[in-house]
Amino acid sequence: MMTTTPAVSQRMRAARVALIGLGVLGLAWGAYVLVDTVAVQRLPGVALWIGAAIVLHDAVLSPLVFGLGVLTRRAGHRLAGGIIVTVQAAIVLGSLLSLIVVPAIIAQSLGAKNPTVLPLDYALNLGVAWLVLAAGSIAVSVWFYARTRRANQRPSLFQS
Amino acid sequence: MATVIGRLLGLAFLLCFGTGLYSHFLQQPLPWMRFPTRPTGLYQWTQGTHIIAGIACFPLLLAKLYVVFPQLFQYPPVKSFANFLERASIALFVGASLVEITIGLLNTYQWYPFPFSFKQVHFALAFVIIGSLLVHIGVKLPVIAAHWRATPAPGPDERHPVDTGEDTAEDAPADGDDGQGLPRTRGLTGRLLAYIDATPRMAPRTSRRGFLTTVALGVAAVVGLTAGQTVAPLDGANVFGPRKKGVGPQGVPVNRTSAQAKVATAALAADWVLTVAHGGTERSFSRDELAALPQTDVDLPIACVEGWSQMASWRGVRLRDLVDQVGASPDADFRIISLEQRGGFKQTEMGREYVRDSLTLVALELNGGILDLEHGYPARMIAPGRPGVLQTKWLSRIEAIDA
Repeated sequence: MMTTTPAVSQRMRAARVALIGLGVLGLAWGAYVLVDTVAVQRLPGVALWIGAAIVLHDAVLSPLVFGLGVLTRRAGHRLAGGIIVTVQAAIVLGSLLSLIVVPAIIAQSLGAKNPTVLPLDYALNLGVAWLVLAAGSIAVSVWFYARTRRANQRPSLFQS
Repeated sequence: MATVIGRLLGLAFLLCFGTGLYSHFLQQPLPWMRFPTRPTGLYQWTQGTHIIAGIACFPLLLAKLYVVFPQLFQYPPVKSFANFLERASIALFVGASLVEITIGLLNTYQWYPFPFSFKQVHFALAFVIIGSLLVHIGVKLPVIAAHWRATPAPGPDERHPVDTGEDTAEDAPADGDDGQGLPRTRGLTGRLLAYIDATPRMAPRTSRRGFLTTVALGVAAVVGLTAGQTVAPLDGANVFGPRKKGVGPQGVPVNRTSAQAKVATAALAADWVLTVAHGGTERSFSRDELAALPQTDVDLPIACVEGWSQMASWRGVRLRDLVDQVGASPDADFRIISLEQRGGFKQTEMGREYVRDSLTLVALELNGGILDLEHGYPARMIAPGRPGVLQTKWLSRIEAIDA
């Protein structure tokens, strides 16, 4: 934050002023281009989408991710940390791919503009991707589990 | 951690901004602008980079937001007027960035469910995003500079969902640490909070490594599984790209069809001619007359603004030979007019650097066969390093500008 920075050097101050000044110029230019090129009755739509994006992220997506994290940690609290992280990573990767591919599936089902747009079977490929992620995370988890067990069975060097 | 991800995200944004501006000015050049015609795949690379970096922004932006999410709940919500402005600019930055990459992605699917025009809003928001990014970097510069100089040391009261330090070895398990000054909440909320508090802790270093690995895998997955639509060696891994290399008439994808452009009748008419004009001189060529002129073979990619590209072999008449037949001066820029009656690119302008280039053709053949109607029969433009929308199909007239 601006107020808590101790001993701001002169160069740092100049750089910050320049960056913020340029940024404000960029913002102003963007706003001008928006008003200049987009029909006025379309502007509320732009504002709505920007606001909806913030609400969707902050009020829907983030709590979901947080809840998922708590759930996986609770569900797997006797398992090694590596396994939980692996499962979480697989869920995150699958969700990320779904986020990008599901709109393609919807657009395809609404009818592509011509046969060369969206020519692949995206639903099938997404299903395969989830299966690969599941198989991969199981394989890594088994490896983690075996490693932890081996380590636990080995006589400890530090116990006397 | 926020700086690590932020650095990559900033890089991706700058790549998108730069390549986006290049694409914009190719399509709407200022009068004095001239563009390089080599390498011939230049636009394929700049626009491919635009789309690839844009897709990489999805995992990077979400990761960045995940890391900084607790700061949304800072208390008090607003510390000062400057702090209010900073938070407002961040809200704008987050919202505009999410909208920008979302409508960009949807545009590659040619799906427009939003209530505004894609091109203008995508262009304007780019400046809003870069502007608010610069403001943000300016505000955070001391933190960023400290991170570049030495190992980051998060303050004791700084909270991150991803552990940033080597310390924080918790001596007591989280279970049952009630009576720590905070009053216990009762009822459903209390039970929920207790449930969350009883979540087992994990070794912080694993968590950090796991987080970075996940982000890296996320970027690799979204890029690796789509970039094959641009980058030929990745074609085999292209399972999610909106286009596939080799899919389309004569092995080339199509953006605007003859049906969309409503040109079939005019293009297939027996009396079709291509008119070339310079000053007062005009000449018309039938397709047979064009085919009787010296033919040139070139290998040039079709590279779309939507990011896909396709290498192809073209055969036709050099544009400069054609315009020389009406006595064009080497400094003349040309207007290329299609049979299309409607559409933003029914006529385009071509700078002299492309007109005089030996690889710029009025193409009559594609990949060894007569040009398909969907690819611009009877004749189309093909020039090095230009976006697909400027490779005008279904040619009708080529005339010098102000000559």
